[in-house]
Amino acid sequence: MLIEILQQTINGLAIGGVYVLIALGLTTVFGILGIAHFAHGSVSMFGGYLTFFLVTSQGLPVLVAIPIALVVGFLLGLLIEIIAYRPVRDANHINAFIVALGLTMMVEGINLQMFGHEQVVIPTGLSRVFRLGGVTVPELRIYVIIAAIVLVAAMMLFVERTKTGQAIRAVAENRDAAILMGVNVKSIPLIVFGISTSLGVAAGIMVGALFAIAPGIGEGFVVKGFAVLILGGLGSFPGAILGGTVLGITESIAAGFISSAYKDVIAFVVMILVLLIRPQGLLGRSP
Amino acid sequence: MFNRVKTGALAALAMALATTSACAAEKKLTIGVADALTGGGAVYGLPQANAVRMAADEINAAGGIKVGSDTYKIDVIAYDDKANPTEATNAVRKLIDRDGVKYILGFCCSGSTSAVASFIGNENAVMLVGNAAERSITTKKIPNLVRTRPPADFTGQAAGTFIARKGQKRIAVIGALDVGFYAQYVDSVERELKKVGSEIIAREVFTLRDRDMTPQLTKIRALNPDAILVVGYVESAAFVYRQAVELGMVIPRYGFTSGSEEQFLRVTTSEQMEGVWDLRPTELDLLSASKNGIAYHANYSKKYNASPSPSSPYAYDQLYVLKAAIEASGTVDDTAAVAKAIRALAIPSQVVMQYQPVDGKMFDVNGQAYTANGAFQWQKGKWVFVEELPSDAKAYSVFLSTLN
Amino acid sequence: MNRTLTFLAWLAAFATLAMLPQLITVKYYLHLSILALIWVIMAQGQNLIQGYTGYVSIVGAGFMGIGAYSSTLLGLHLHLPTWVTIAMAPMVTALFALATGYPSLRIKGHYFAIVTLAFNLIIVIVLVNYKELTNGETGISNIPKLWGGSRDAYFYLVLLLAAFLTLLAALIARSRVGEILLAIRQNEDLVGSIGIAAWKYKLFAFVVSAMYAGLAGALYAHFQGFINPEIFGVAQSLDAILAVILGGSGTIAGPVIGAFLVVFLPELLRFADSFRLILYGLILVLATIFMPIGIVGVCKALICRLSGKGLRHGA
Repeated sequence: MLIEILQQTINGLAIGGVYVLIALGLTTVFGILGIAHFAHGSVSMFGGYLTFFLVTSQGLPVLVAIPIALVVGFLLGLLIEIIAYRPVRDANHINAFIVALGLTMMVEGINLQMFGHEQVVIPTGLSRVFRLGGVTVPELRIYVIIAAIVLVAAMMLFVERTKTGQAIRAVAENRDAAILMGVNVKSIPLIVFGISTSLGVAAGIMVGALFAIAPGIGEGFVVKGFAVLILGGLGSFPGAILGGTVLGITESIAAGFISSAYKDVIAFVVMILVLLIRPQGLLGRSP
Repeated sequence: MFNRVKTGALAALAMALATTSACAAEKKLTIGVADALTGGGAVYGLPQANAVRMAADEINAAGGIKVGSDTYKIDVIAYDDKANPTEATNAVRKLIDRDGVKYILGFCCSGSTSAVASFIGNENAVMLVGNAAERSITTKKIPNLVRTRPPADFTGQAAGTFIARKGQKRIAVIGALDVGFYAQYVDSVERELKKVGSEIIAREVFTLRDRDMTPQLTKIRALNPDAILVVGYVESAAFVYRQAVELGMVIPRYGFTSGSEEQFLRVTTSEQMEGVWDLRPTELDLLSASKNGIAYHANYSKKYNASPSPSSPYAYDQLYVLKAAIEASGTVDDTAAVAKAIRALAIPSQVVMQYQPVDGKMFDVNGQAYTANGAFQWQKGKWVFVEELPSDAKAYSVFLSTLN
Repeated sequence: MNRTLTFLAWLAAFATLAMLPQLITVKYYLHLSILALIWVIMAQGQNLIQGYTGYVSIVGAGFMGIGAYSSTLLGLHLHLPTWVTIAMAPMVTALFALATGYPSLRIKGHYFAIVTLAFNLIIVIVLVNYKELTNGETGISNIPKLWGGSRDAYFYLVLLLAAFLTLLAALIARSRVGEILLAIRQNEDLVGSIGIAAWKYKLFAFVVSAMYAGLAGALYAHFQGFINPEIFGVAQSLDAILAVILGGSGTIAGPVIGAFLVVFLPELLRFADSFRLILYGLILVLATIFMPIGIVGVCKALICRLSGKGLRHGA
């Protein structure tokens, strides 16, 4: 029994890491720009597809393809901000949400046209499995968890320690004051979208290496990403990290000990319960 | 007077010319295809639509369909139903109401097919179902509907007897059990297992989007089963096989996935697959294919620059069934007569799948056809056809008739 | 003057629709028109919560499913006449809406949107897995139809219901309740500060919109004769949102136009099957950026400009 609980926790960690990265991107965009960027999942999967393409069709080593995909992701984020979200920035927040839905359909359609409907798996050649007592962990999962931790730490350092990061925080806290302090408010949304999309692409690569990318997968992840946001608190960094990990492990435990058919229901019910008890989320600031 | 005769003669001549030219002019028979051409179901639907088009080209090149003294060339209209019930209903309404189509082929996916099947009985049309495996499609005894693919539990029964013979007592199931026909397959297996005192000890579910099966497998591992049975779409099932090995489960693995080598190797290594059984309809498999099957594979690959999916001949065969039935009934307009002729048909010589006749006919009273089932095993990087599974089409047909 | 014109426009639209079964020779278009009218009911409900109250609910199709399944199952198990079960469907849906609306309306904006989305996902998962009741993914066939499945008769039933419910929506919008809903959209805190319990009004809008959806679902089930969980997925909820936005949110004519668009547009785009998703998304993005007030809004602006011009001419 103890081994099972331990194994299920470890099972849930990898997918939890993916949730954290997706949620970090979403929470940054949301906290600073107030946009529910629904297309984030599909765009993230585009990054995974791109890595797959670079590795299999162009013959690049995985460790070369990943940085390229991250940079492309950053640029894609800029593009999305400029052509899709900037025109509706000052309109009602519903409009940005509808744009996000339209964008989701477009990106899903483009993914389908470019990469087909068969699922793809990014080949890594990592197939060792570590065994410790009765608990087994595939090598690849460990790398994914480590990569997620590194990216989260880098993101925290960026926001806490760099000038741009501090500017982003200043805008998030008080836009007018930030303008008075001389922060270049115009470039902030661009940077935010670039970084978020890069994080999303990293998540897409993890999904592609550990599992698979296929039509519709991205939408599934973005829904879970939003669930994490609600669980942790919209716009909260530590909330996204805690929420993602909790959701990943909850799903795994729910499937292992309660019901695999209803594991998503259980995850959502946990989310709704948290919301009822703490409407601002686990680590959100109270309104 | 003379003038009159002359005019009359001329008129008669003109008329005769007109009729002969009408005779000589080829008539056109438009048939419809409703299938998933985009979205998740397109893996099955698109090859089916391609297969129908290819069959139409072949039939046209060989002179078309002959009805009395008329010859019909086939014209195909294919609409995308995205495997969605509402879209499928709209697509079929468009085919029947607007395009005046009377024969509708394709139908890869169960939900969309069931939606159309629910009203086709009232239409002046004939519906030929392909890859959709949900059993209830042919339990309603709809006179103008037939299906080339056998229901999943027909295969499940054969698979059950095979697993029972192997002697494992406690079998754990993991699969897309939220999908009706996968659950029916497992029910059939269970019935056969019970006869020899074996049992199914777990039924774990994964959905179409799940790729992480470790929670379910960890649970199964703790139950110490003698074997596992994996039923579901290959995209998800491949991960079960891989992660079972990663979790250190070394037990016999049976499956019902119909995935190709390429589809599995994208996810797993060949070593992780070694020894896995796939218990499924023989479908289009080059190891066990007939002469027609090999020719079909070659022609399809040439025409579409891709290998045909193993289930695509279900749709190809539909058109040859339709051709034979129209020629036998001598009409293209009387759909009831054509539908009747389809059920009276012996297996046409041009079909690709290896059907098992019931009472000498291709379709039974329910409008259901049966193909052979086979046991395939993964050996050193590929699927090897090991043996035909014992399947009794006649007995299953009787069972199917009792359902509604 | 303006009011008479509006009234005449509505009358003309209704008369044209009423003549449709005579005008249409290809029954496929009648089939689509019936679907579109069902979607009018759906969209009018969605407009109440989304357009007037300003809360984007993504559970519309889920409620539609509850209506469809309750009408079907009540008929199947209790052998009630179809008329009765259709009338009961919105009531059953209202119960579910009360239970889900109470917790979700405690939160605002995007929280609300995502929680309702989760509810839609939960509804579908339960419909798929509670096989004893719903027959799962296989769905339920041979649902009884009214008047032996006559499409002409059903068209008139749905037309009358859609007209009545549009009228009802207009009455709600013009009432004091409607004004408070609009005020909530503009500034919810302000509404609270003058001593109005905003949550009651939000819950009212949410439940009424769910009842519209439930009725639409029941009408759908007895029209198609077949339902399965897939029909009531999130994609269809998004269609309802789309209908409101494209037509013009917070207007009465908007959902009517939007509903016909979401039914007919995909059919018109059938020629471009593989690009349909991209095209559909593109239309959505462009419409939101360049036409955020919807078709009705654009028309109004046009009419204002034209009539303004006309007045100057007259003067």
